[in-house]
Amino acid sequence: MTTNAAAGPLAPFRVIDLTNELGQLAGRMLGDHGAEVIKVEPPGGDESRFIGPFRGDVVDPEQSLHWWTFNTNKLGATLDLTTLRGQELFTQLLENADFLVETCPPDAAAALGLGAENIRSEHPRLVHTSITPFGRDGPYANWKATDLVATAMGGLSSLCGAPGRPPIRPTASQGYTQASAQAVVGTMIAHYQRTKSGRGQHVDQSMQEAVTFTHDNASPTWDIRAINNERPGNGRQIGGYKSGQYVYEAADGYVAALSYGGLFGLTARQTVDWLDSHGMAGELTSDEWMTKLDATQGILIPPSGEDGDYLNQVLVEFCKRFTRAQLVAEAQQIRNGWGIVHTPRDLMENEHLAARDYWVDLEHEEGHLTYPGPWAKLSKTPLSVRHRAPHIGEHNDYVYSNLLGLSDEEIMKLSSNGVI
Amino acid sequence: MSTTDNADNVFEGIRVADFAWVGVGPLVSKYLADHGAEVIRIESSVRPEPLRRAPPFINDTPGLDNSGYYADFNSSKKCASLNLQHPDGVKIAKRIVEHCDIVTESFTPKAMRAWGMTYEDLCEVRPDLIMISMPMYGLTGPWSMWQGYGHVLQAAVGISHLTAYPGEEPIGTGVAYTDFLVPHFAAAALIAALDHRQRTGEGQNIDFGQMEAALHATETMILDYHVNGREQQALGAGHPDHEIYGTWQCAARGDDGDDDDRWIAITVTSNDELAALAHVAGEPDWTTLDAKSLQTEIAAWTRKQQAEELMHRLQTAGVPAGVVQTPEDLRSDPQLAHRGHFWMLDHPTMGHRAYDGPSFRLSDTPAELTKSAPLLGEDNEFIYKDIVGMSDEEYVEHLVSGAFD
Repeated sequence: MTTNAAAGPLAPFRVIDLTNELGQLAGRMLGDHGAEVIKVEPPGGDESRFIGPFRGDVVDPEQSLHWWTFNTNKLGATLDLTTLRGQELFTQLLENADFLVETCPPDAAAALGLGAENIRSEHPRLVHTSITPFGRDGPYANWKATDLVATAMGGLSSLCGAPGRPPIRPTASQGYTQASAQAVVGTMIAHYQRTKSGRGQHVDQSMQEAVTFTHDNASPTWDIRAINNERPGNGRQIGGYKSGQYVYEAADGYVAALSYGGLFGLTARQTVDWLDSHGMAGELTSDEWMTKLDATQGILIPPSGEDGDYLNQVLVEFCKRFTRAQLVAEAQQIRNGWGIVHTPRDLMENEHLAARDYWVDLEHEEGHLTYPGPWAKLSKTPLSVRHRAPHIGEHNDYVYSNLLGLSDEEIMKLSSNGVI
Repeated sequence: MSTTDNADNVFEGIRVADFAWVGVGPLVSKYLADHGAEVIRIESSVRPEPLRRAPPFINDTPGLDNSGYYADFNSSKKCASLNLQHPDGVKIAKRIVEHCDIVTESFTPKAMRAWGMTYEDLCEVRPDLIMISMPMYGLTGPWSMWQGYGHVLQAAVGISHLTAYPGEEPIGTGVAYTDFLVPHFAAAALIAALDHRQRTGEGQNIDFGQMEAALHATETMILDYHVNGREQQALGAGHPDHEIYGTWQCAARGDDGDDDDRWIAITVTSNDELAALAHVAGEPDWTTLDAKSLQTEIAAWTRKQQAEELMHRLQTAGVPAGVVQTPEDLRSDPQLAHRGHFWMLDHPTMGHRAYDGPSFRLSDTPAELTKSAPLLGEDNEFIYKDIVGMSDEEYVEHLVSGAFD
């Protein structure tokens, strides 16, 4: 599916996007909602164009898959914000915009005219969103954070990995993702408020605090039981209780199951019947085991110790006999919410996503490329993924001539002075 | 500047019928509730909201009003109890919806269809309704009736594939990760739809397949496979472009050194940062070492350092570094405290407890967590009498018949 006209709920609005990898997804999400997003880069191109991987593994600012992923639905204009003329033009851009999303380090914001108070006094209607590692002020405001530092400081890494081994992170930056996605929620709330009041405001998003939101039940567990949920390896911790393994090896890859495959909790009896139908329930059909498993139905506290080990071993033996698809299809029939542990290839070949018309083909000079599509289906104002990421300065003419009304000579002069 | 805003109530006057359960749906409506919407949770004791049965429980005593897991996701909300399986259940639910701007739900699609409570059905009682359905796999398609949970969905979208020690089994994060990821996408679309209604008067239906949103959290995983034919692999704590990017064990802490699970994340993304790291360690030669030797040196060095102190020294020198903070650490983190992340709220059965607030600060209309999580059915009288308009007799009749179970 390719949709070129923006019909989303933000179609009447314009966004100025001054973000690095910390916030690029935020601008992208606003664009998916139909807004016209103008990505402002320094002349020569944004540094995030040099983040890999690259098409064919050749480093080229026009071939970065990172850039392509996070800057679809954006127009591109170059502008040197360190020059006086550049800042004047930027101010004019903001006068023509409804949103500003930026990732300027707090200690550099004032010098670039991006202080919250400054923006507010000059552009009172603007919704101004700042995405920074720790927030615009506070004791750590000027500290630096990569994705791993944020996942560590926000508490996610302490819950990822195996006991006694180093804490890990997903090898796809969740700090950046969480900061961007949560910033969009704050931005939308400010936008809705502006529709009512006519006035914009500042949205101060912290990446660390965004990660803090991902603790699951770890914060109330500490609060109530004074127990730190720990990294559980291939398992979970709920309320300070260790729960069983949940990723099992199948004949052709891995499946993700409930803890102990559903052998504790509401579906325990059905799960035993299922295993038994394949002759693989072991001791679990005994009255003694049934009594134990029934006892876990009302309260989601999993069995542990020898009982847990036995449940686990039954599942390990069972799963390796069957394919992933067979296991998950049969589990779903008894309302056990199992899933396949997908690889990238599995996902692109997935029948369900194809049936949902999920993927979007975007035109590049190199041919059509397939991207993940809109992440919600709105019946009246559909989200859309409309066009590829911009080349360096690709839309300078549109921005400086059509939008700001500069003459061709002025634009030539700005270009030769290195301002754009 | 004069203002007519009620500073704490962005969504004042917006009422939400929240049929959703577990993580995703309640976290979406929490954004609305914490910014002033009147969110009515509609739950039943006959088939209780699963999180009410999940630990941690106050005093380790299970009970539908004792779960901290449930409480954290349901601040600032009201709760009506209603048994949708009761003969009058659906009729009563529709009478609530009649008075609501938004309906949220996260069942598999067959539930609302069976009850006759699809978007089309509910528009008959509320024509400008905004409804968001958030099943795991969306409202249509071959997997739409499949059930699932956040720790399964992280596997189904490739996040578990990317979360493992190098070359080992895909373990995923230790949390139901997508439960804390996709609510932001859903809330963004929902608020955008609400804004559209504010401007145009038009409501709409949102089919939110959790899987489709979660796939946007996999960075370049899809394009790299599509363009380069490469299946990206998990790197532990590591990063494909940076050699010094990991977690290292620090010295034990505590009076008797009993907490020997202290770790620091150190990342070096430039030569300047490498030089700064070498300087802090007092080892200028580190800038000349190969990656593997340097990693070994760093491990030996950090093992003798206190994590917090080392973090301060490295950050002061310009090296991105941070303690791998535990849930306990977060509660005393000075930056989170400065931002007021945790709210302390009084709950009738659970007492004075910490709740998470939103991670952003709005300058003019900041969030306010107005109350702790509701008891099951806590607001029945208000909702059924004052909002729905039931007489005392009718209320008692439904109460006795079990409709409010």
